[in-house]
Amino acid sequence: MANAHPPVVIGQEITQIGRNFLREVGSLFWFIVNTFEETLERIQRGRVPFRAASFFRHTERAGVDSVPLVGLVSFFLGLTMALLTGYQLQRFGTERLIPGLVAIAFTRELGPLITGIMLAARIGAAFTAELGTMQVSEEVEAIESMGIGPLRFLVAPRMLALFLLMPCLSTISNIAAIFASSLICKAYFSIAFPYFLDLVKDSLLIRDIVTGILKSFLFGLLISAIACYRGLTVKGGAAGVGTSTTSSVVTAVTTVIGFDTLYNIVYSTFYPT
Amino acid sequence: MVELRDVDMQFEEKKVLAGFSLKVQPQERLVIMGQSGSGKSTVLRLILGILRPAAGSVFFKRFEITRLRRRKLQRVRQHMGMVYQYSALLSSRNVRDNVALPLEELTDKPRSEIDKIVDEKLDLVGMKDTKDLLPEELSGGMRKRIALARALVLEPELILLDEPSAGLDPVIASVIDELIISLSEKSKVTSITVTHEMDTAFRIGTRMAMLYQGKIIEETEPEKFKQSKNPVVAQFLSGSTEGPILEGSLDAITKK
Repeated sequence: MANAHPPVVIGQEITQIGRNFLREVGSLFWFIVNTFEETLERIQRGRVPFRAASFFRHTERAGVDSVPLVGLVSFFLGLTMALLTGYQLQRFGTERLIPGLVAIAFTRELGPLITGIMLAARIGAAFTAELGTMQVSEEVEAIESMGIGPLRFLVAPRMLALFLLMPCLSTISNIAAIFASSLICKAYFSIAFPYFLDLVKDSLLIRDIVTGILKSFLFGLLISAIACYRGLTVKGGAAGVGTSTTSSVVTAVTTVIGFDTLYNIVYSTFYPT
Repeated sequence: MVELRDVDMQFEEKKVLAGFSLKVQPQERLVIMGQSGSGKSTVLRLILGILRPAAGSVFFKRFEITRLRRRKLQRVRQHMGMVYQYSALLSSRNVRDNVALPLEELTDKPRSEIDKIVDEKLDLVGMKDTKDLLPEELSGGMRKRIALARALVLEPELILLDEPSAGLDPVIASVIDELIISLSEKSKVTSITVTHEMDTAFRIGTRMAMLYQGKIIEETEPEKFKQSKNPVVAQFLSGSTEGPILEGSLDAITKK
């Protein structure tokens, strides 16, 4: 049958993949909505939605502990970018464009994107593995059976931590990359640090910074939602936790890059530079 | 107190409960027996509203669990306590925090009062000295007792026990059984226990029910249950390899 009508079979498979994709998107959307709903219900009853200690534990893990990684990777990327673009621009005598180029590229695009990808791998995987293990050992069900909302108790503090910490980490990424490019500019292109700063200030617009920050908030929400959703839907014991963790990282990285593209298309359409 | 009415439940292709009905009276200690995989734990999850039946209704007091919205369901669950087969203690929290969790999350009690209640419940299950230990530092029997303390911390009217003595040595199993009996007598708690451990079942049960092929096939007092003429019950109690239970299983295997 499959050999007799290959186009039909391929068509059916594509339809099935499309259907599964839409089902996953729908489930993730409702997962986020339900988390908000459970959290707001709790606030409406005049109670804190989750313990401050739980929130700060996650901000420390997701934020403070990620600073070295984000800073170092962005620093190296800043060095490479300044060096490679610098040699090309030098041929036209326009190496003074390097500071602006690195600053705009990072604040608007690379800072949030690189941070998003790194956090999806580092924190997204940790969230999925942690919640997945709780799911297979019936801990999540035990929480639910006590009358405690697992989304409010387990997901909301993680989501809020990553949502608030992403812009901070993106800013650290931007600063590290710009600082790295200033070292290259000084060492290879004789651009002194004060002049470097002036060039950055002249080229960077508030709009670039705001765009980067808005993107960071969005990426933080998406990564945490995907990671927690994958964790709480784990099936199949220890092997299931492994599969879901891999799937969580792949989905989060793809989603971050996809949303970044979508964001840029929408932004460029409404605010063409 | 609890009623399941014509409940059907299936997981993908596998039908677990078919027209399952059961009534539990207040202060009763009902024991549901049955083979592994016969759907005993599913019954407890249906009562908690964790699972929704494909058909039929589940009632707890005047509430129809199957129709409750999430918020109301969460409130109703606070009147029930569940002890899981593998305890399901939160592995990242110590014993004190595990037992205190429902009080911290669901009540406005100050920390001093919460500590007092936690001490009281841990004392009740004989585990007062383990407050600072993590679940991984406890034995299976100790975890079961902590899980029981956690289930009791909100003073539930109904307690659900999933294989409370499975995997425990006979002495610890008896300790757990005695605890369940004394709780029921002192605190007037209704309990539903699912197990296939005979000793536990007959020690704690005031009424026995046998679940077979998705239905309750026998439901009576322990003494009458022991004398049951039902061939399935008789085979289950004797542990014989001859009888309808294995024939049913073999039929199912042959059909596949």
